[in-house]
Amino acid sequence: MNVISMMLFAEEGAAGPASPFEVNFGLFFWTWLVFIALYFVLKKYAWPAIVQATEERERKIGEQLGEAARLNAESRTALEESRQAMADARASAQSMVNEARSAAEKERTAVLDKAKQEQEEILARARREISAEKDRALVELRREAVDLSLAAAAKLMESRLDSEADRKFIEDYLDSVGNVH
Amino acid sequence: MMVFQAAAEELNIGEVVLHHTADAYAIGIEPFFSFHWEKWPDLHLGALTLNLTPTKHVIFLFLTAFLVFLTMRVAGNKLRKQRAGENAPKGFANAIEGLVLYVRDEMAIANIGHENGAKFAPLIMSLFFFILYGNLMGLIPHGSTPTGNLAVTAALAILVFLVVEISGFLKLGPRGYMGTIFPTIPGMGGAAGVAISVAMAPIEIIGKLVKPFALAVRLFGNMTAGHFVILSLFGIIFLFGHLSVWNYAIGVTTAALVVGIMLLELFVAFLQAYVFALLSAVFIGLMQHEH
Repeated sequence: MNVISMMLFAEEGAAGPASPFEVNFGLFFWTWLVFIALYFVLKKYAWPAIVQATEERERKIGEQLGEAARLNAESRTALEESRQAMADARASAQSMVNEARSAAEKERTAVLDKAKQEQEEILARARREISAEKDRALVELRREAVDLSLAAAAKLMESRLDSEADRKFIEDYLDSVGNVH
Repeated sequence: MMVFQAAAEELNIGEVVLHHTADAYAIGIEPFFSFHWEKWPDLHLGALTLNLTPTKHVIFLFLTAFLVFLTMRVAGNKLRKQRAGENAPKGFANAIEGLVLYVRDEMAIANIGHENGAKFAPLIMSLFFFILYGNLMGLIPHGSTPTGNLAVTAALAILVFLVVEISGFLKLGPRGYMGTIFPTIPGMGGAAGVAISVAMAPIEIIGKLVKPFALAVRLFGNMTAGHFVILSLFGIIFLFGHLSVWNYAIGVTTAALVVGIMLLELFVAFLQAYVFALLSAVFIGLMQHEH
C-alpha cells in the first residue's frame, strides 16, 4: 500500500461515527465548555490590551463631545444674554433720546414764549413811550402854535391881544383844528 | 502499479469521504502513528443519552481555543509594549489589532448599536476568531475541522440563541419580550387584534428558532462541503490512477483543482466566520431594538 491509501485506510476499525451527519450530543458539552472558557479568558486577559487604546480614544472623544455640547449651550445662553442686554441698552438709549427731545422741545417753546412776551412788552413800552412823546409833542406844538398865532394875531391886528379872553378864543380854535385831525 | 490497482479496487470513495469528514475516537498523523482510545460508557439523563468521551474534534476545539488565546495574548502584549515605548503600532500586532477592531466596530457595535454594542463586542469577537480558527484547522495537513461537526455548530448556535433571547428579555422586560412572541398589529384592536396576535405566535416562535438553526447548518454545511469536494477530487486519482497512459495527467489536473478548491476553502473559512459572527450581532441588535 502506498502512503496515501494507507492514510485513507488508517482509521478503519476505529470505533467512531461513520459520517459527519451523525450528531454526538456529548460535543455540545465540550463546545460550551471550551467556548465559554475561551470567552472569559479572552475577555479578561486578551481583549483589554488590544482594544484599550481604542476604548480610551472613544472615551476621550465622548468626553470632548460632551464638553463641546456644554460649551455650545453656554455660549448660546451668553449670546442670548448679550442680545438681551443690547436690546435693553437700545431701548434705554431710545427713551433717553426721546426724553431729551421732549425736554428740548419744551425748552424751545418756553424760550420762544418768553421771547415773544418780552417782545410784546418792549413793543408795548415803545408804543406807550411813543404815545407819551407824541402827547408831549402835541402839547408843545399846541403851545408853540398858540404863541405863534398870538404873535401873528398881534401883528395882524396891531394891537396887543394879550387878554385871557383872547387866549381862550385861540385855544378853542386850535382845539377845533386838533379835533378835525 | 500492482499495489495501486489493489488499493483502488478495495476503495469505496464515498465511504472514505464520509469517514474522513466524520469525527473519530482517534488522533494521529497517519500513517506514521495514530492514537486510539476507548469510548467511555454512555450517560443517561432522563430520555437523553450522552457520551462525553472526547473525540478528535474535541481535541481540535481545545487546540483552536488555545491558538486563539495565544494569538490574542501575544498581540496584546506586543501592542502594550509598543504603546509604552510610544512606538507606532506595526507588524503582526497591528494586523491583529486592525482585525479585532474591525470585528468590534463594524460587526458588533455597528449592528448592535452604540448603547450596548461594546457590551456584546467580546462575544462577537470571540465567536469570530474561534470559528475562524476552527475553520482553518481543517486546512492544516492532518488537521480536522471542529466547525465541520454539526454538534459543535449547533452548540454555538444555541449559545447565540440563548444570548439573543436572554439579553432581549433583560432589555425589553417581561412585557416587551412577550411582544416579540405575540406581536401587536398596528391599527388592529379588540378581539381581532388579540386573535391575530395569538395566531402569529407560532410563526414568531418558529422565526426565533429558525435563525440559530440556519446558523448551525450554514457553518456545518460550508465546512463539510469543501472537504467533500476535495476528497472527491482526490477520489478521481484512485478511480483513474491505474490507467497506464494518462495517470500522470490526471494526477496533475486533480492536484491543480484541489489547490484551487483549497484556496476557495481558505476564503470560505473567513467568510463563514464573518457570516456567523455578523448574523449573531444582527440578531442581538434586532432584539435590542425591538419595540
